[in-house]
Amino acid sequence: MPGFDSDERKLLDESLQSFLTDTYDFEAFKRHMRTEDGPGFSTQAWSQYAEQGWLGVALPEYAGGIGGGMTELAIVLAAAGRHLALEPFIGTLVTGAMAIEKAGTAGQQAILADVAGGTKMLALCHAEPQAGYARDYVATIARKDGDAYVLDGEKSFTLHAHAADVLVVSARVGDASGPAQLFLVPRDASGATLNVAPALDGRQGATVTLNGIQVGSDARLGDNDDDRLDLISDIIDLGVLGSCAEAVGAMAAVTDICVDYLKTREQFGQPLSKFQVLQHRLVDMSVSTEEARASVHAALQSVDDKRPGAKTAIWHAKVQTCRSARFVGAQGVQLHGGMGMTDELVVGHYYKRLAQLEAMFGDAEWYLGQLSMA
Amino acid sequence: MFIRTVAEDTSLDAFREEIRSFCETELPAEVRRKQSAGQHLEREEYDDWLKRLGAKGWLTGKWPAEHGGHGWSPEQHLIFSEELGRAGAPPIVPFGAVMAGPVIYTFGSEAQKQQHLPGIMKNDVWWCQGYSEPGAGSDLANLKTKAVRDGDDYIVNGQKIWTSQAHWADWIFCLVRTNSDGKKQQGISFLLIDMKTPGIEVRPIISIALGHHLNEVFFTDVRVPASNLIGEEGNGWTYAKFLLANERVGNVDIAKFEHYLDELRKLTANTHEGGRPLSEDPSFKRRIAELEVNLATVKALMADQLAATREHGGAPTMMGAAALKLRGTELQQSIMQANVDVLARYGLVYQTDALHAGWNGEAIGPEATAGLMYEHLYRRAATIYGGSSEIQKNIIAKGALGL
Repeated sequence: MPGFDSDERKLLDESLQSFLTDTYDFEAFKRHMRTEDGPGFSTQAWSQYAEQGWLGVALPEYAGGIGGGMTELAIVLAAAGRHLALEPFIGTLVTGAMAIEKAGTAGQQAILADVAGGTKMLALCHAEPQAGYARDYVATIARKDGDAYVLDGEKSFTLHAHAADVLVVSARVGDASGPAQLFLVPRDASGATLNVAPALDGRQGATVTLNGIQVGSDARLGDNDDDRLDLISDIIDLGVLGSCAEAVGAMAAVTDICVDYLKTREQFGQPLSKFQVLQHRLVDMSVSTEEARASVHAALQSVDDKRPGAKTAIWHAKVQTCRSARFVGAQGVQLHGGMGMTDELVVGHYYKRLAQLEAMFGDAEWYLGQLSMA
Repeated sequence: MFIRTVAEDTSLDAFREEIRSFCETELPAEVRRKQSAGQHLEREEYDDWLKRLGAKGWLTGKWPAEHGGHGWSPEQHLIFSEELGRAGAPPIVPFGAVMAGPVIYTFGSEAQKQQHLPGIMKNDVWWCQGYSEPGAGSDLANLKTKAVRDGDDYIVNGQKIWTSQAHWADWIFCLVRTNSDGKKQQGISFLLIDMKTPGIEVRPIISIALGHHLNEVFFTDVRVPASNLIGEEGNGWTYAKFLLANERVGNVDIAKFEHYLDELRKLTANTHEGGRPLSEDPSFKRRIAELEVNLATVKALMADQLAATREHGGAPTMMGAAALKLRGTELQQSIMQANVDVLARYGLVYQTDALHAGWNGEAIGPEATAGLMYEHLYRRAATIYGGSSEIQKNIIAKGALGL
């Protein structure tokens, strides 16, 4: 059971907001993102998050975490979204850590202490070039070779994979009809080739080519031979929910920024905020943000309470968040006019972050398609 | 309702063929390659191509014969643009041929015509547009850049913003304030300014697409001969409106977006989901069909505008131009968004280095990715520039509906 009551959640949110407001303004964001030869985020900030205990909010107590649920983690992610934090929250804390927590052996779970401590980063490398958003398409093969596995395949661009110490890689054991399993692969393993590139929103990531990578049997996550596609899908759902929480934070920021801007920008002899058509636009942005927030909140409660409809609730939240993000992000730019089109103004960076989050693990159309077939 | 008849006109087939075969033989392969890969053109290679078109008089084909044009009908100009798009050529740069030129031959003096029109026709001179200012965007008439008469000159002080290609331009046409009394619109004048004049400074603006296309232009005590004034002092707003209507019709760029719709079809054929091409996915088929309908509608609006243009003696109606700009730019954005929704399956990678020829990194996803992403980001401005969508709606509300 998540150990946070409302007051504790409020305190968590306030401490995050105040820390990020103080240390992570737009200038810091640009500096972290664009430092030459840097990873595209702040490793120092990551250490500070660890010191504050934020990396461990949803990690189990045996790993030095606080044992909170997705709701607590979502509070962290929403704050990250609100301040455009660039660090690898979702890959490390959600998809990466939760795969290990749910399926790993006790030995493998030891890494979670390093995650909580901020010294190890993770990335889930599941999607492949032929997969698109489909979750059940795995062509990467893990061939058994005595006591070891040999991995061959190609993984699509994954945010922050270039910075992860350990990649959680899906592969079918034996051949294309074998069970899909997850493997813990050191990023610098011999045979791993990363093509590092910037994403639309300015963060970095990499494609990963696995060419005869040898890993020991202890690299396979867990201790049974069962197919893990259902588990992988559950993990991705948590990633979806995390990305939605981040988007809600970003949307709330965009709405606030637009309200402030329209109050100060004057055209035709009065502030733009006096034009009813623009007032209604701001209202629609605010309501859209609120719809996303409410649907994400509903999904978080379903997950934390282990309700049977949790998966559907997450997918509903994802569709709503994608819709809201597309509208709010685009209006953020539109309402700023030409200024919104510049790299100098923060609102364009929110537009790009929201587009990135929208596309993470699938877009609204894809989820609607899945829901319509369910 | 359905009054005007626009007959199917086959008399222009030969004209189309002439443009097409010219593009096939004259468009430099490197320009074609860059355009198809979505890479940026250098000024020199763009200039070289525009000069080839200029030598045929095609940049200004629409101009009346008396001013050196071919007197093309709107249909001919449309065919010309379509064929450039089909050939994979870059669109013509509008600032001289579409904007400054018609203002100069309609309202300018004989001396101005002789000085400027030949350079525009041959693309010997690049122009840019000095309209918007930090405090004068949608409310363009609020502009503050001042021109004060001093003997035979004006002294210009102020700032323009969002000036496309100012860093490439030789001349700028500017709206300036020559009188601060009375109605805002009344004190505006239209000045032609040589960009080499002392006191002009161009500063780049980097866009959300991370490209340099826009600029700020600063004027500090810039001395401009009074003979560079177009028409009468204080009458600039009339000329500005004439020009804006021209800009709006040009803004739709149909040929280019037919190309991007083709790109979308290619992307869906080559992108897989669960091992199957997206082109087999009913929701993508439907989406493409929807975009085709929207494209057909915008083309119909355009055809109607062309017909109206004939009846109104060469100028499009403000209302029709506004409706076309509104829906045309929305169409542009939705076609680009659909492309990006496919590219998102590769992780929404944006390798801006790939926009420059000579990059030898390894591209992730389809070759066209960076170019399409750039265009998508750039076209977020389509509903802002040339009069935002909100302004177009105001024009229709006031002008067409009398509200």
